[in-house]
Amino acid sequence: MTVTRREMLAATAAALAAPLVSPGAAGAARAAQAASVAPKFFTAPEFALLDQLSELIIPTDEHSPGARAAGVAAYIDGRLAESLEPDWQASWRAGLAAVDGLSRERHRKPFLEATPDQQVALLTELAAQDGFFGELKSWTVRGYYTSKIGIHVDQEYKGNVYQRGEFAGYDAT
Amino acid sequence: MTLVRVAPPLSQDVDLSKTYDAVIVGSGAAGGMAAHVLTSRGLKVLMLEAGKKLPIEQELRSMQWPYDHPRRGDAPPGSHHLSFNEYTIRKPPYAKGAAFKHVYSYVGGWSGSDYVKNILVDEKDHPYTGTNYAWVRARCLGGKTNIWGRLALRLSDYDFKAKSHDGYGEDWPISYADVEPYYDKVDLYLGISGVKENLPHLPDSRFQRPSKLNFGEVKLRQSLKKTGQVLTPYRAGVTTDGLKHNRYRSKCYGRGACDRRPGGCDIHAVFDSPTGLIYPAMDTGNLTVRPNSIAHEVLVDKNTGRARGVAFLDSATRKSYEAKAKVVILAASTLESARLLLLSRSPQHPNGLGNSSGHVGHNFCEHVMGPGVTGLIKELVGKPHTLDDGRPGGFYIPRFRNLKDRQPGFIRGYGYEGNSGHSMFPAHVMDTPGFGGPFKKAVRDHAGAFISMGAFGEVLPRYESHVDLDPAVKDAWGIPVLRFHYQFSDNERKMAEDMVATGREMLEAAGIEVVGTDDKVLTEGWSIHELGTARMGNDPKTSVLNQFQQSHDVPNLLVVDGSSHVSASCQNPTWTIMALAWRSCEHLADEFRKGNV
Repeated sequence: MTVTRREMLAATAAALAAPLVSPGAAGAARAAQAASVAPKFFTAPEFALLDQLSELIIPTDEHSPGARAAGVAAYIDGRLAESLEPDWQASWRAGLAAVDGLSRERHRKPFLEATPDQQVALLTELAAQDGFFGELKSWTVRGYYTSKIGIHVDQEYKGNVYQRGEFAGYDAT
Repeated sequence: MTLVRVAPPLSQDVDLSKTYDAVIVGSGAAGGMAAHVLTSRGLKVLMLEAGKKLPIEQELRSMQWPYDHPRRGDAPPGSHHLSFNEYTIRKPPYAKGAAFKHVYSYVGGWSGSDYVKNILVDEKDHPYTGTNYAWVRARCLGGKTNIWGRLALRLSDYDFKAKSHDGYGEDWPISYADVEPYYDKVDLYLGISGVKENLPHLPDSRFQRPSKLNFGEVKLRQSLKKTGQVLTPYRAGVTTDGLKHNRYRSKCYGRGACDRRPGGCDIHAVFDSPTGLIYPAMDTGNLTVRPNSIAHEVLVDKNTGRARGVAFLDSATRKSYEAKAKVVILAASTLESARLLLLSRSPQHPNGLGNSSGHVGHNFCEHVMGPGVTGLIKELVGKPHTLDDGRPGGFYIPRFRNLKDRQPGFIRGYGYEGNSGHSMFPAHVMDTPGFGGPFKKAVRDHAGAFISMGAFGEVLPRYESHVDLDPAVKDAWGIPVLRFHYQFSDNERKMAEDMVATGREMLEAAGIEVVGTDDKVLTEGWSIHELGTARMGNDPKTSVLNQFQQSHDVPNLLVVDGSSHVSASCQNPTWTIMALAWRSCEHLADEFRKGNV
């Protein structure tokens, strides 16, 4: 089966309608809603924070829905929930806590209550450091570009189909 | 859809009371070919495979979308694939003390590990010791041919007569003219795709329809042409036109799953030993296959010293059995065949079977890999996305070093494998800095605009590069394991430097901006092209096998896999392994008919 970009866009029209950067509290509420099933590993506040961070990394734009619509937080939550590596699990809890910690340090409020500009500034600061941001980005892109939205809508990938006759490309000679 | 959907032949009852004409140990490219040739000549053959006969289509699931897999392709928790770091900073056995339930070699890597978990061996059950080595083993019917990289190349007299050319090592006891007819047979029987280039150092095959190049690859090809160099479409061991004589294999439909996973093709357009060789051989009625059979000794007749059969364990029941045969053919892989010879000690053969020369396990060689370059094709940035990966491979740049020139730093040569264009996952994503809207757009705009290539270079065979049996460590079945004494030398390191510098020059000359270079040499073994532990030669004092892969010491013992190779060449070995096995087994069948065996 192939999902065309058009079909996928229609299916995710609601996500597309969202502003480019969701304002804090409202975004968190939407995230909690989006996670129709309760997170398996993260607490609800942790999950909402992760969902917002993933969307900041790969936001919805005019071309395609972002990480939130692609369910990236749920994917990461699922992988952590079944993991047998306590160190890895702990590093995610600690990483999210540190994001909130930095926000409190800079703005005296948790990350999700910071303004969109403040959130971007905080993430920019984290991106400049070695540490959690790399892990966060790695798993966000992994989740996004292996999702239906990532493959079909954003990347408009055309392969994984039975081709008939001549294949695409140029003859060597 | 005209896909072939013929069920594999049913498993058979194995009669171990009878003496077979030949018993073959191993079912990969070499064992499969031996079975094909001998059964088509009417010999009654028993094949022993250490691993299972897998429902391979269910393992490979070539067209499964990542999002239809619960872990996007990854194996379940508790499974671990070794990383480059682990191979480098630790010593074998790599799985020793690991907290994971299963440990596998690096193959599988990024989101493909669930598709190979039953194909690769669990390193916990199959330890080895000694120097660092990334040893990839596939214990199942067909072995590594189930997931091979498909690049199907011929060797030339630059390889067979390499010593005559530069003075190093030994010439093979055969020349290209001896092997050429058998390369042709392999091409026609199994199918190969490519373009004729008329190169003396990379002879053309009997090609079916080639795959096409994309924009960036054509650009590089045209640039290289100006300096007399060649970039040719991937010469793939894939049937693109179909094979009328084989009902188990479909032709290629360009589905593009080939590079997304560790390999494997669930419609078998890519050659694999079971559908290409073993099932048709079973259909002759002359081949019996016994999976789950771990060979641990070649048995010899006490009086004559000749091989009389193979002792093996059933991997499930651990019961011991003997298979009796007039000829024993080892095709267990370069390293496992050497191990089996070393394990087969007897009063007549105290150093291991066929080892009067002391060369079994020695002259071990392979390909060095890792170094490569990535370029950005500016014309493609921001262009609509196209279908570029619907083909079994990208391109190959054949060897160009030390043909007419003499490099100051190293002898022999290397070739590049590479590709350009779109793939399902935008591999450049982690190298794209930042986050947010600009990041997302940059990933999208640059997708498909890269070209990358990595080199495979010839590793020189040296007597001191060898494997032997570890005196203490045993595998899960109580069989002594291999101990490695093997490291790259200065020739490989100098060659690796040239791979990066020359790759950069090639891209720049084509007007392609170099955006990444990798000068890291991957761990020994990474190429999965291990060769040369029981080399052929005319002198029984310095070689293990004659030109027909027959033991100098034990005439009814053949070793038909990569262990027979005298040098590694820089061309991928699978097609040569099969051409040589065909030649040797045809010779064997002739001798058999004459009553000489």
